[in-house]
Amino acid sequence: MRTRLYLLSAIILLFCLLTGCAANRTVVLVPDPDGHTGKAEVATTAGKCLLEKPDDITHISDSSSPPEPVSTATKEYISATFSEVLAIEPLPSEKFILFFETGSLKLTEDSQKTISVILDAINRRSALTVTISGHADASGSTLINDRIAFERAGMVQGMLLQKGVDPKRMTLTSHGKANPAVPTPDGVAEPRNRRVEVVIR
Amino acid sequence: MKILSLALLFTYIILSSSCSLANDKIGQIHTMKGDVTIIRGTTVLPANIGTPLQKGDLVRTGKPGAAGIVLTDDSTFSMGSNSELALKEYAFNPKEGKFSLVARMVKGTFAYLSGLIGKLSPDSIQLSIPDATIAIRGTKLLVEVQK
Repeated sequence: MRTRLYLLSAIILLFCLLTGCAANRTVVLVPDPDGHTGKAEVATTAGKCLLEKPDDITHISDSSSPPEPVSTATKEYISATFSEVLAIEPLPSEKFILFFETGSLKLTEDSQKTISVILDAINRRSALTVTISGHADASGSTLINDRIAFERAGMVQGMLLQKGVDPKRMTLTSHGKANPAVPTPDGVAEPRNRRVEVVIR
Repeated sequence: MKILSLALLFTYIILSSSCSLANDKIGQIHTMKGDVTIIRGTTVLPANIGTPLQKGDLVRTGKPGAAGIVLTDDSTFSMGSNSELALKEYAFNPKEGKFSLVARMVKGTFAYLSGLIGKLSPDSIQLSIPDATIAIRGTKLLVEVQK
């Protein structure tokens, strides 16, 4: 009788360990769409833990206990709990980069061809958002860089508008010389930074 | 004639871009099924594909219900049924280096994929769940919050 009771409690304990029934909040680190896995630090008032490998998982029961030690999430847990979420996930965005002739609003020859590739992608995906961001290089003043980056983005927006892309779906931003593709010291002309990035979703 | 239409086009672009700044759109409902609502202050709004989201919105799904949200920095939150996501703070202004994303996964199931804020300024992201906070370095997370 007694052994049976022990057995029962052992089974319950094992069940709890496997399903995490004591902990009711769960965080799992998974790879990005491009296969890279980042890091995440989960913290309560009592402590923290670092998730750094694919499928690292931790549970939190309450704010006064530290997160449980990291273990590995099972495929079964992930598919049972998150299949609905993963099915509704928006498609990953697609990014296109357009380059300009030095100091001008004229696209390079290659980039003129990219415009039609962008249009195809917008139609194929029925894209809801088209984000157009203008970038300048680090030569010239901040004011001029901001303006030229914005004008370049506006140029691209105008071209897409003329081809029938819904203006309500387009957003325009200027990064000026911030966030260069190739970092350079101030004052350096760098053609690869004179660009407009178009991200569609 | 061509110059006139170009001038009109340009005016339109400037007007439309300043409007999008004025109404503070931080993202939108990108995919959804079933019952999805947006709670904005004391108002409950129905959600549709393309419905814009603002700072302070609470997105709620029923059962059945699911939604995929894309923010303007290209980060995404996807949520399953019976879930609630509070978009508390948001700023994405790369030119001035202003970034902020404060969101709370109140209950339900979620997938979060970081976007440009995660790349440019990961410390500006504060994700939380009841009883815990999550700091991220450019990544994707799955989160379950049972109530």
